[in-house]
Formats: sequence, C-alpha cells, structure tokens
Amino acid sequence: MSDLNHEIKLLIIDALDLEDISADDIEDDAPLFVDGLGLDSIDALELGVAIKNAYNIKIDGSTEDSKKYFYSVKTLSDFIQISK
Amino acid sequence: MSLKFEISKCVAWAPGLESEQDWQSWQQGDKPLTDELALPQLSSIPAMQRRRLSPFAKVAIHCALEASGEYQSDIPCVFSSRHGDLQRTTKLIENIALNQDLSPTQFGLSVHNAAAGLFSIFTGNRAPLSAISGGQSSFMQGLLDSVSKLQTNNLSRILYVYCDLNVPECYRPYVTDDTPLGIGLLIEAPKGDKNAFSFCFNTQGTSPQSDNQALDFMRFVLSNRTELLTHIHQQTWLLHRNC
Repeated sequence: MSDLNHEIKLLIIDALDLEDISADDIEDDAPLFVDGLGLDSIDALELGVAIKNAYNIKIDGSTEDSKKYFYSVKTLSDFIQISK
Repeated sequence: MSLKFEISKCVAWAPGLESEQDWQSWQQGDKPLTDELALPQLSSIPAMQRRRLSPFAKVAIHCALEASGEYQSDIPCVFSSRHGDLQRTTKLIENIALNQDLSPTQFGLSVHNAAAGLFSIFTGNRAPLSAISGGQSSFMQGLLDSVSKLQTNNLSRILYVYCDLNVPECYRPYVTDDTPLGIGLLIEAPKGDKNAFSFCFNTQGTSPQSDNQALDFMRFVLSNRTELLTHIHQQTWLLHRNC
C-alpha cells in the first residue's frame, strides 16, 4: 500500500516535471490541486494520461467522482487498488 | 519606399554567447560559438510555471523579457521562428506513430504561438501579438513584420523575438545552418535619422547566399557597418543604417 503511494508520488513528479520536488515532499493526505501541491487543470489531464499508461485505468474526468480520486495521493492510491 | 526604425535594445542567446559582452567579443572574433547550449535561469518566473518551459521556450522568453524590460506588460509583439518548438512537435508525431496517448501539456505547448502566449501570460500583456514563420528567411520576415506594424499602427515601440534551436535528429539532413539562437529586439519609431535602420527595396546587385540570416544580422548590428545585404533563394534583403 505505501509502496503504491510512493510509486504514485514518483509518477506525479515525473509526469508533471516537478523538478524541485522529491517524493518525501508530498504528503499522502495533502490536497494535490490548488492548495497543497498547487497543481492546476492541465496537470489533472496530464496525470490522467500518466495513470492510464502506468496502470491501464481510465479516470472519467467528467464525473464528480474523479475530483475525489484526484484529491490526494491516498485517494488516487485507493482508487487504483479497487480498479486493478 | 523605406521602413525606418531604431533598435533601442538587442538581447541574444546562443551556445557560449549569453551576455552583451559575450556577443561583443564574438563580433570582434575573440569568442567563438560553443557546442553546448546552456539555458537561461528565468528566475523571475515562479517555479510551478517555469517547469513547463522547454529549452526553446526558455531561450525565446528570456530574450523577450530582457529586451522588453519595463515595457513587458503592454508592448505589442512579433515572435518569429522557422521551426518553432520542433522537439515537442516531433515527440507528439512519434507518439501518434506508436499509437500512444498524447501528453496534453506537450500538445498545448507545441503550437507555433506557445512561447509568445506564455510570455503574455507571465507578463499579463494583452497587446496584439503574432507568431510567424517564413522558411529560411524567418528572421528577416519577422523583422519586416515588426517594422511594418510599428509604422502602420503608429506605435512608439514593438518587441521582436526570433528563436530557432537545433532540429531533432531526423530532420538534420534537411537543414543547412542549425545554430541555436534567440534574439530579442526592442524596436522603436525613429527619433531622427541618426542611428536609424531602414529596410530598402528594389535593390540591385548580388550577395552570397546566406545560411543563417539571424547570425548575419547579429554580426551586422554589433559592427559599425552601414549595410547588411543577404540573399536567400530569390529574395534579397537590404538593411541600411545611418551613422
């Protein structure tokens, strides 16, 4: 479980070119967008593609649920686990 | 007919040549171009925005910011590039060929006006802005476009940014001079004849074929020569300077 969290953090850093940030800087429960890490809507699209490529899981961006999945590393990790 | 203008600031970036001093030394033959292109720091741009800038965007935006200086938030601009951000475009084409999903960021930032658009976002600049490409004459075409806009619209100044970096390996056989180079010019309406440049038409005479007009221009603008004559395909370009 925590391995998956770490893996997701590395995926976020790599896919979004977060050069100055390491996996340790990202907290499992902190919000990824706006507050917290401060990602924006382009990042959401980019992260969606990266997750699809890495785990073969498609997150439908048009549903309200997708906002919950993208909230933090932990919510993404939970979503990936149940979808696998 | 001639189009007159002044150049009140000239900023350029190339491998090994970054400061005004570097370029002066280069013009005098004391400092050569190197093989390795370093990238500008762009420390005035927040890190979260800077991370999306490609090498192409970094060089173009550095020249734009430095040349426009205090006018950066409201100056009209022309950006010109022969190839644009071709590294990005090529990556997208490769993704399509391999049936892979396209990166939304790469896609959004591969368009020809991406660097110009990013500059306008960073500076909050809402003035008219265009991004053009004119084959091997891209530098001169962009300069002509800038000076024409300056004169036709009675502007007091306009920013001209030119940038082309190395093309990706697969395109190398089709390109003669591939020197990475960014230039930013703060162009102003002439205050008098002294130090004024002008484009001249209907020129006679021949000059050697130019492989890199932008580099020829830098050599000219840093010298005390009064004329730059360059020839590409069927086009002859003549720039004149009053001393």
